[in-house]
Amino acid sequence: MFGALLVAGIVHGLIIGLAALAVTLVFGIARFPNAAAGDTMTAGAYAGLLAHQASGSLALAGGAAVAASGAVSLLGYLLVFRPLARRPVASLLVAAIGVAFVIRAVLGLIFGHQQQVFQVPLAWPIEFMGLRIPPMDITLATVAACALAAAFGVLHLTSIGRQMRAVADDPDLARVSGIRPLRVMIALWLLAGAAAGIAGLMLGVKTVVSPEMGWEGLLTAFAAAILGGIGSPAGAVLAGLLLGIAQEVSTPYVGFTYKIALAFVVMLAVLLVRPRGLFGRMEGVR
Amino acid sequence: MVSYIVFLLVVAGIYALLAQSLCLAWGVTGLVNLGLAGFFAIGAYASATLTKWGGAPVPVGLLAAMLAGAVAGFVVCVSTLRLRDDYLAIVTLGFAEAVRVVASNEIWLTGGTDGISGIPAGLPRDWGQGFHLAALGIVTAILGLVWLALRRLVASPWGRALRAVREDQIVAAVAGKRVTRLKAEAFAIAAAIAALAGALYGHYTSYIAPEIFQPLITIYVFLAVTAGGNGRPTGAAIGAYLLIAFLEATRFAAEVLPGVSAVQAAALREASVGVALILLLRLRPRGLFPELSQKAPA
Repeated sequence: MFGALLVAGIVHGLIIGLAALAVTLVFGIARFPNAAAGDTMTAGAYAGLLAHQASGSLALAGGAAVAASGAVSLLGYLLVFRPLARRPVASLLVAAIGVAFVIRAVLGLIFGHQQQVFQVPLAWPIEFMGLRIPPMDITLATVAACALAAAFGVLHLTSIGRQMRAVADDPDLARVSGIRPLRVMIALWLLAGAAAGIAGLMLGVKTVVSPEMGWEGLLTAFAAAILGGIGSPAGAVLAGLLLGIAQEVSTPYVGFTYKIALAFVVMLAVLLVRPRGLFGRMEGVR
Repeated sequence: MVSYIVFLLVVAGIYALLAQSLCLAWGVTGLVNLGLAGFFAIGAYASATLTKWGGAPVPVGLLAAMLAGAVAGFVVCVSTLRLRDDYLAIVTLGFAEAVRVVASNEIWLTGGTDGISGIPAGLPRDWGQGFHLAALGIVTAILGLVWLALRRLVASPWGRALRAVREDQIVAAVAGKRVTRLKAEAFAIAAAIAALAGALYGHYTSYIAPEIFQPLITIYVFLAVTAGGNGRPTGAAIGAYLLIAFLEATRFAAEVLPGVSAVQAAALREASVGVALILLLRLRPRGLFPELSQKAPA
């Protein structure tokens, strides 16, 4: 029982980790909490669902999810967040809520509000050290691991990734060093959108696809980003895993309806005890 | 038709109360409260349970709702007041979701997803039109009182200190203002106003349930306050009436559009609310009634 919950928690945690990665990158570099990250996930899930229905291939669905979420994320930046960049953080946050509602309403308009599922073939679980693991969980975990590896590769091995981290560290210093902010921002929103898209696709495969799914997952993603330390990609993923496992393992005791409440309590506790999270810098905290 | 307009005016008055709450927290103090729907729900449940199951008179219920709202507001904000303000926004967002989850699951306290029906109004409901007119009078009078009180508060030295905190917390602290305490006071009072609005809503409609307290309410109020001008109680109140007019106008527009189902019409309205909010933030961030710059005190 515990082992099965642990496996479910790891898969769930990878989804949270990817969503938290999208949140923490934007929070660390564009410096506001992007409340539209959840609905960017939803856009990816619907794009993946369409591609999967048309082709039956999960790989194509992943490509469609990344493309759609990346496009939605970049459009949000160019149309809304860029013109507002010099406003107080509060205005950006309120605008992000507006973007979230527009995305959700448009998805509801196109696809309706009934829940839809990915038609994936049933398969026997694989026995491994006395644990029964559904093959789909292994596939999803592999997809998530590859997506994370790609994201960290971009952040740490490429020039644009170094520039992104430089802007996160000190925007003024980055600017005088000749880093062009627009290029960095475009790369940031594409990367954050792609991570959200994969997270949305995985969440859709594991559960159901509905216009509300992303908004409902947003709070957990925020909680993981805070637990991991704002601006720390590795922290976000680790915190996502911790939260996912905690949510699944606690289900027999508190019931699955309290998953969101558990994320909320974790978030409050972290903010009270250690507001910089696991790996955050003090600089994010005034 | 007349009764429909009276109903809309009561609802607009309740939204105007929520707008007063957001004006104080966001407009004056700079604290983004994304959990408005949660405080609205807390007030509604506190007053409904006390008056229906506790047998308390409605005014006692309203006072208890404000107290519950203030306590909830204090608890929510106290964990983040020393941090950057966007942390508070995230926590309030979580608070509203947590309130909905608790309201849906703690059936012994809240009736679960069935909600609470038959909430006493303190007025006989069989007055027909008279009941709605009396409710309109009461809600509008309470709104007027809150508006007057808020205007006085915002113009007082306390209100000036809040605006100083909004503009620059470090400068305010250097000037000897107790920043954390000021923020906690403003947020708790704002939460109490939102809870009062929720209590009035429950007594007027006689029915509350968790699905009523959607985040959509919060974004409606943000739209109202942004449209009216977020730093002025007058602007926030007028913005709420404009919001209801806008929502009704889009409702009729959606009915006129050919080939649009009811669900699609609702989605279109939601999208138009989001677009309106973004456009206002971009084009007219100070609203129709911008905050007046004030003379320095002599």
